[in-house]
Amino acid sequence: MADEIDFDAILSKYRSDPYDYVVVCATQTGIVNFKVEEGSRVNSTSGQWLHIPGTPLFEITRERNPKTVTAQTNGAVSSIRTELEGQFVEAGEKLLTIRHPLKKKEVIESILKEVLFIFPAPERAKYFFSLDIQSRIEKKGAKALSIRSGDEIIIMSLMKRDTPVYYTGEAGVIHSIYFTPGISVNQGQPLIGVCASDKLPLIQKIITRVKADWDKMIEPGHAEE
Amino acid sequence: MIAQQGLSSVELREFVSARELPARRLTCCSSVPSLPELILRYGAIVGSVIHRHGSVGRTMDLARRHIVACEQGGRSVASGTVILAETVSASKGRFARDWHAPVGGVWGCLILADTLMDRARTLLPLALGIACCEAVRECGAETATVRWVNDVMVGQRKLAGFLVESYRSPGHGELFHLLGFGINVNNDCFPESLADVACSLVQLLGRQVSLRDFTLSFLAKMAWNIGLLWYEDERDLQHLYDSQGPEEETLESEHLLLRQWQRLSDTIGKRVLYGYDIQKKPLYTATVMGIRKDGAIVMRQDDGAQIVEHGGELRYVEGNHCL
Repeated sequence: MADEIDFDAILSKYRSDPYDYVVVCATQTGIVNFKVEEGSRVNSTSGQWLHIPGTPLFEITRERNPKTVTAQTNGAVSSIRTELEGQFVEAGEKLLTIRHPLKKKEVIESILKEVLFIFPAPERAKYFFSLDIQSRIEKKGAKALSIRSGDEIIIMSLMKRDTPVYYTGEAGVIHSIYFTPGISVNQGQPLIGVCASDKLPLIQKIITRVKADWDKMIEPGHAEE
Repeated sequence: MIAQQGLSSVELREFVSARELPARRLTCCSSVPSLPELILRYGAIVGSVIHRHGSVGRTMDLARRHIVACEQGGRSVASGTVILAETVSASKGRFARDWHAPVGGVWGCLILADTLMDRARTLLPLALGIACCEAVRECGAETATVRWVNDVMVGQRKLAGFLVESYRSPGHGELFHLLGFGINVNNDCFPESLADVACSLVQLLGRQVSLRDFTLSFLAKMAWNIGLLWYEDERDLQHLYDSQGPEEETLESEHLLLRQWQRLSDTIGKRVLYGYDIQKKPLYTATVMGIRKDGAIVMRQDDGAQIVEHGGELRYVEGNHCL
């Protein structure tokens, strides 16, 4: 992590284009039928348990078995490969892009993910801190807790099988926690963000700066898209 | 006093040949006549070594120490090693809940090296519940059922519970699965906190059960059900090999272990309260619609929304009353 961060450059990047571009690919081989068109607004999964599916994006049919793929993020369809309508595609083929308007919190998280060491979920499962770590977090807070490579920090729980997860990464304090106990996390999604304890002031500076500058640099109505 | 005095791996193998195999030949519906032999050969690793102890703290801890000792002694851990204890003084369930383990129950742990593929590994906890429910029914408690994931219930009372933990050996970094089991057999006194929710075989049958015979039966059925997981792994690999492409999807109704779970479980169709740690934080009520091929449970909420859960706990609900 760099000691100095060019805040102006980072903020200017988000100011000029305050969007995230989410590419949606074919989840499997099959024939594609789009359910949206360019410019369509789409909603992500919702509900208290994220159990209400998002807007249907396309249907992909393999061996007469259609599967509907829904939006995992809200925004608008910024590009779509209409030439693939009704065509057979391979798994992984890029099909459309969703332009997602970033909120202040997302920008902060996005910048932090660039400067923190991100420890990802090894499998799709539910995660919780090991009992020892949890009690230390409850007593002193995550930022007072130093961890290093090899520490057993998290328990991965899948079908009542609990597997200790050992931290591998640079030593530091847990700055960000990206999971909620009891809620499933997909493989590769971040679990925690770690930074060296002497870098904490720098992280705090990032948060303060974005909070101060974001509202005045974004056009009204941006987040409502 | 040592748990299950005299019970050995040789005795278990003889039991499997004399009792389990003939019984499975009668009930295993398959076009492959030698399928029961094949499945039990896969599962023969269960109980390859049996360690018996008197009173211990936790059998899971013994298992970890055994793995470390083997590694430090330059020996391999025998996959399928079973550790049995007469009583367990520091036993615990999930989320460090108390587990009462006096003389008269079957308390222990099975050590399995991590040689299963992903899907089968996920179903390991189900195999434990199925094996226990089969053994309990065979013993005479024919109303025993499995509540997802693997609680063995008679009526609204829990007869057995299981805990599966994975452990990576500190030296070689080899991954093992520790399958802990606690089955109330001849113990009939429970602490006040468990008196209304737990039960034992002796209470249900009104007679003592031979702990040794029951343990043999349970281990033999573990051998079968864990053997099924390797057999299903083989089928998956065969599909992969035959098609030279992505894995074919097996319907849950075709998966032999899931089919047996569906036969023994009364969870599907029930209205349930769901929570990750249901005692501390119940989350929502829903109706169970089915089980997926990866063992996940499919539920429907009152507003019609469908939820798939890969972990957590259920309690059955009648009206507004949680059973």
